[in-house]
Amino acid sequence: MTGTAPALPDAPSSRFEEDTMPPPHPPQDIKPPHGINFFRPRPGYMRSKVTYIWLALGGWILVTFGFQFLLLASQKSSAGTSMLTEASLFGFPFHFWFTGQFLIVWFILLCIIFNLLVDRLSDRTRKRR
Amino acid sequence: MPISFKPVAFLLLLAFLFVSVLVGLASRSRHGEYYPAAGHSIGRLGIGAAIASNWMSAASFLGIAGIFYLKGYFALAYVIGWTGGYVLLLILLGGQIRRFGKYTAAEFVEARFDSPAARFVAAVITILITLIYCVAQYKGIGLVFSWIFGIDYTPALLFGVLVAVSYLVVSGSLGARRNQQFHYAVLIITFIVPLMLLARKLGYFWVIPQFGYGPALQELSSSSGLSYTSPWAFATPFEWMALCFTLMVGTAGLPHVLSRFYTVPNIRDARWGVVWGIFFIGLLYWSAPAYAAFARLMELQQGINLSPEAARQGADLVLLRAGELAGLPPLVTAILAVGAIMAAFSTVTSLLISGAGAFSYDIYYRLLNPEATEGQRMKVAKAVTLVLATVVIVAAANPPGLIAEITAVAFALAGNTLFPVFLLGLWWDRTNKYGAIAGMSVGLFITFAALVLGDGAPLLHRLIPPTSSALIGAPLVILVMIVVSLLTPPPPEAIRQQLADKVHGP
Repeated sequence: MTGTAPALPDAPSSRFEEDTMPPPHPPQDIKPPHGINFFRPRPGYMRSKVTYIWLALGGWILVTFGFQFLLLASQKSSAGTSMLTEASLFGFPFHFWFTGQFLIVWFILLCIIFNLLVDRLSDRTRKRR
Repeated sequence: MPISFKPVAFLLLLAFLFVSVLVGLASRSRHGEYYPAAGHSIGRLGIGAAIASNWMSAASFLGIAGIFYLKGYFALAYVIGWTGGYVLLLILLGGQIRRFGKYTAAEFVEARFDSPAARFVAAVITILITLIYCVAQYKGIGLVFSWIFGIDYTPALLFGVLVAVSYLVVSGSLGARRNQQFHYAVLIITFIVPLMLLARKLGYFWVIPQFGYGPALQELSSSSGLSYTSPWAFATPFEWMALCFTLMVGTAGLPHVLSRFYTVPNIRDARWGVVWGIFFIGLLYWSAPAYAAFARLMELQQGINLSPEAARQGADLVLLRAGELAGLPPLVTAILAVGAIMAAFSTVTSLLISGAGAFSYDIYYRLLNPEATEGQRMKVAKAVTLVLATVVIVAAANPPGLIAEITAVAFALAGNTLFPVFLLGLWWDRTNKYGAIAGMSVGLFITFAALVLGDGAPLLHRLIPPTSSALIGAPLVILVMIVVSLLTPPPPEAIRQQLADKVHGP
C-alpha cells in the first residue's frame, strides 16, 4: 500500500505550532497541504498578513482612484471643473491639494498603519513560539 | 533662454563632482561598486534617505516640473504614481521577496521558477529597463550641460555623457562607495533652497514652499483663460488613471528598487525605512510642481507667450527657466543645475552597473561561458557598461519625448513584466516557469506594441499608450500567467515548500 501512495511532505518545523496545520493526508488525497494562494491564505500568520494587505490595498485604491472618479462624477464641464475644483483649501484648488498634497500624506499613513499591524502580528507570533 | 557659458555653474559642478568622489572615498569598503552593498546599521531614517536618494533621478528633479509645466493636473499622475508605488512595494512584495532571499530580479526568477530561460528573459528585461531609463537621464544631462556651457544639445549630450562615464570609472576604480544619505541631503537641499528663494522673491509663503504655491495656482487658473488647473484639461480621466496605475506597478516591479531590501539585515527596519523613504521622496515631489507653476505665472505676467513647440522644447528645463525669469542670482540657478546633474549622474551610474551586471552575470556567466572566472566577469561587466553607455547616446540624441514620459515607458515595461512575475511568483505557488516566460513575453509585447505597430493601429495608442500600458497590461499578463501555469505541469515541490515555510511563514 505505502509503496504506491504519494510521498508525504517532510514534517513541518516547530515554528508552525500556532498554525492550524492540517493532519497528515490519507494517501488518496493529492492536494498538497501547503498551497500558497493570496486568495486562500493559510490560517494564522499568513491569513492575518493578507487581511492587513487587503486593508492597505483598499485604502490605496479607493482613496487614490476613488477621488478621480469622484471628480469625474461631479464634473460640470468636459474639462472636469466642478464644485470640487472651484473650492480651495490652503490656497490650492481643492482637487490639486487632494491629489498633489494629501494623497502623499495618505500613502505614508497607510504604510505606517500597515507596519504597526505587521509589527504587532510578528510580536504575537513570536511570543507564542 | 539665453545660451551662454555660465562660469559659476561650471565651477560649482566641478566642485560637487570632486566633493562627491571624496565623500565616496571616505565611505568606501573593501569591495568595489560591483558588489552588493554590505549591510551595516544606519537606522531607519538612513534607509529611508537611501531609498529616496536612489529614487531621485533627472525624472524626479527635472521631469516632473517639466510635465507639470505642460500639462497641469495630468502631471500629478506622475507624482502620485511614483510615490504610491512604494505602498504596493511595501505591502505586497518587500518582506516576501526579502525572505525568498534573492538579490536581483533575474536571480529571483531563476530560483523561483527553476528556469534558466526565464532568467535570461528577466535579464534582458532588466537591461531594456536600464537602457530606456538611461535615455531619459541622458536627456536631462544633455539639456543641463547645454545650459551650463552654452552649446547645442548634441555636443552637450556627448560631453555630458563623457563626464558621467568618467565619473563612474573614476569612482569605481577608486573603490568609492556612494554615501546615500549624504547624496540625498545634497539633492534635497539643491532642490528646496532655490525654491524657497524663488517663492520668497515672488511673495509667496516661502518657509515651506511646497505648501505655499497654492495661491500661484489659483492666480494662474483665474487669469489665464486656459483652465490650466482643470483636471482633464490636458488628458482624459482614463489616461490619468492608466498612467498613475502604470507608474505604481512599475515601481513595484523595478529590479533595482528591490535591492533596497537587501542592504538591511532586519526586515522590520526595511519596512519602516520604506515609510521614511516615502516621506523623503515626498519632500521633493510635493515641491516639484511649484517651479512649473511659478514659471507659468511669471510668463503670464511678463507677457511671454511661447509657441507649443517652443514650450515643449523648453519644458524639461523649466526649473532653471523659473529661476532666470524671476531674476534669481546666478549662483542659485547654478545650484539647481548642479543638483540635477548629480541626480542624473548617480542614477545613470547605478543603472549602468545593474544593467552591466545583469549581462555579465545572468547572460554571459550563466548562459554563454559558465567557466568564466571572476576576473573575466568583471572585465565583461566593465566593457558592457561602456557599450550600454554608448548605445543609449544614439536614442538620446533625438529624445522621443519629455524626460518624465521616457521614464514612464521604462516603468511600463517593469509593470507589465517583472511586477506580475514577482506578484504571482510570491503569492501563488502554482505559478510555473511556462507561465512566467509566457507572461514576460506578453508583457514585452504589450509595452512596445503601440510604439512599434502604432501607426497602423491607432486603437493601440488609446488603450495601451507607451507610457501607460500597465493598466491593461498587468492584469492581462497576470491572466496569461495563470492560464498558462494551469495548463502546464506544476513547479517543483521544493520551491512550493520554500514559499510556504520561508516566505509566508511567521
